[in-house]
Amino acid sequence: MTPLDDLSVAANSSTGTRTRSLGWVGLVIIATLVVLALLAPWIRRYRPETISWDFLQGPSWRHPLGTNRIGQDLASQMIEGARSSLLVAVLAGGGTVVIGASVGLIAGWRRGWVDLVVMRVVDVFLATPRWPLLILIGLYAGRDLLVVAAVIALLFWPGPARTLRSQVLSLRRRAHLKAAVGFGAGTVHMLRRHIVPEVGLILVAQFLSAMGRAIMLEAGLAFMGIGDPSRTSWGSIMRDAGDYSGLIYSNAYLWWMVPPMLAIIFTLLALTFVGMAVEQRINPRLARHHTGRA
Amino acid sequence: MRPGGHAPGRTAGTQRDQGPRRRAKRSFRMADGRRRGAAWRVGIYLVTLWAVVTVVFFLPRVMPGDPLTAIREANSPLNSEDRAILEAHYNLDQPLLTQYGLYLSGLARRDMGLTIGGGAPVGQLIWNRLPWTLLLMGTSLAVSSAIGFAAGVSAAWRRGGRVDRRLLTVMTVLHAVPEYVLATALLLLFVVRVPLFPSAGAATPFTQSYGQLYKLADVGYHLVLPATALTLGLLGTKFRLVRNTTISVLGQNYMVAARAKGVPERLLKRRHAGRNVLLPFLTVVGLQVAFAAGGSMFVETVFQYPGMASLMLPAIENLDFPLMEACFVMLAILVLTANLIVDLTYARLDPRVRTE
Repeated sequence: MTPLDDLSVAANSSTGTRTRSLGWVGLVIIATLVVLALLAPWIRRYRPETISWDFLQGPSWRHPLGTNRIGQDLASQMIEGARSSLLVAVLAGGGTVVIGASVGLIAGWRRGWVDLVVMRVVDVFLATPRWPLLILIGLYAGRDLLVVAAVIALLFWPGPARTLRSQVLSLRRRAHLKAAVGFGAGTVHMLRRHIVPEVGLILVAQFLSAMGRAIMLEAGLAFMGIGDPSRTSWGSIMRDAGDYSGLIYSNAYLWWMVPPMLAIIFTLLALTFVGMAVEQRINPRLARHHTGRA
Repeated sequence: MRPGGHAPGRTAGTQRDQGPRRRAKRSFRMADGRRRGAAWRVGIYLVTLWAVVTVVFFLPRVMPGDPLTAIREANSPLNSEDRAILEAHYNLDQPLLTQYGLYLSGLARRDMGLTIGGGAPVGQLIWNRLPWTLLLMGTSLAVSSAIGFAAGVSAAWRRGGRVDRRLLTVMTVLHAVPEYVLATALLLLFVVRVPLFPSAGAATPFTQSYGQLYKLADVGYHLVLPATALTLGLLGTKFRLVRNTTISVLGQNYMVAARAKGVPERLLKRRHAGRNVLLPFLTVVGLQVAFAAGGSMFVETVFQYPGMASLMLPAIENLDFPLMEACFVMLAILVLTANLIVDLTYARLDPRVRTE
């Protein structure tokens, strides 16, 4: 799971219709998660942190996904985990793209020394091992979920920035943009009317991939035990399950460990699918079916 | 720079030759597509390293909490006299900038200090753990590169065919699964459901009397699951890159020309397509070292592998400044050096990459 920001996802797809239908599947999964997360207080029957004497129970009518070692209802915990994941996804993904896009737009538009400085900073970021750094900064900046989201955004903006910059550089060479500049259009006008509409879908694709990465990182931090201790996350459910030494001597892992794993996988897959569909819209040529080998 | 490589007339110098065959110095592509010389590359490397060391040094120290408080909370209260002695011993009573200077000069002398919880030499601890992380990362990077490259070229060669579609599905799913989920899944499948592999550690203890071959096999046996998890985690990106690059290479005119003049399919695949895909592939392998370092921390945690993660995470928890700084700095050096090597090799491998 290594999101490289400049690799096109859509170039993967061999047929257009398949990508499009997968995109809808992804969208439905994400929409379901959003509905679950928003309606959580009304759907869940227990508060996710409430402990009870019904510990380590298998799935039943009272506890659809069973309970954990201290009797917390796992279905409620899973829903709470969806809320954490989506919150981080939106905040960190949005932050990454907003910072990255602004920096990339400015660097590509202004060029000159601004561009030079920005791209050197990007070079440094891209060469740095950012995962260990995230652990360190996340730990010290505070374990609050919002802080984690902010740190993710601050560490991962260079990817979108680089993509946006190269887009702007190639856009501004086009004749109608040159003409607009020649007629005296100002920077703000150019960016608003000509650049931003052109890169809109690319921003959406970047946002989707940043959301996936944020979900993965947040759950990973929680899994390592350095997430927000006051929040239930899919990663923290996995950690609790892994910490219980008796887990493997019964079937408990089937309803305790496996559901958060599947939730993470399907959420990330859904985001990938939507991303593929979006990128296909950006560049339909990538998805065209080639029969010839050359 | 010394002459080398397979390209004729490559005597790299600093000034351009005026002769009929132009000689060029090696150059490197930066993030903005600009090409720069080796010195520039090494410069970026050093600046990045310095930036990481500085962040890693100052961050824990400006945040609330300090290692001695952590010790006190863990065991018995530390009275102010002992505390002062310890602070003086670890230079924690000095101003931050002095500490920073001491730390940098220590690093330059390859002295990483003593751990605060226990007073063991940090260098020694790292020396014991780093080889395991290197083994895990190296194996995974090598295996995933080999599989990713072969699978990517084959899939692109039969674009839209059954092999391609199958591989694409598998790799897209793999790409979406984080390493820690992969590792946990492997643990559940092959340790819990079907007890085939050991659940933890990197070697069976108390095997000193056994032969070397047995020990080697034992290490390999313990390595299988962690390395598989990390390999699968790295595979998706490589496959996608190789496949996409190969597809674009297959559309090039020189491929049509080679096919037209009757170059055998096998050579076409290996020489004409494969070699051209190798270069962007190398870049991704370099970038993936950073991801592998991060992923390795997760995988090691799941399998209780005695690598850097087993040193770093407790160090972070106990706020053991020297130990955790050393862990991060070592990881950073590892990743940055790998990137530097890739960048420097790149120009050697690709005769086209020259300035002017």
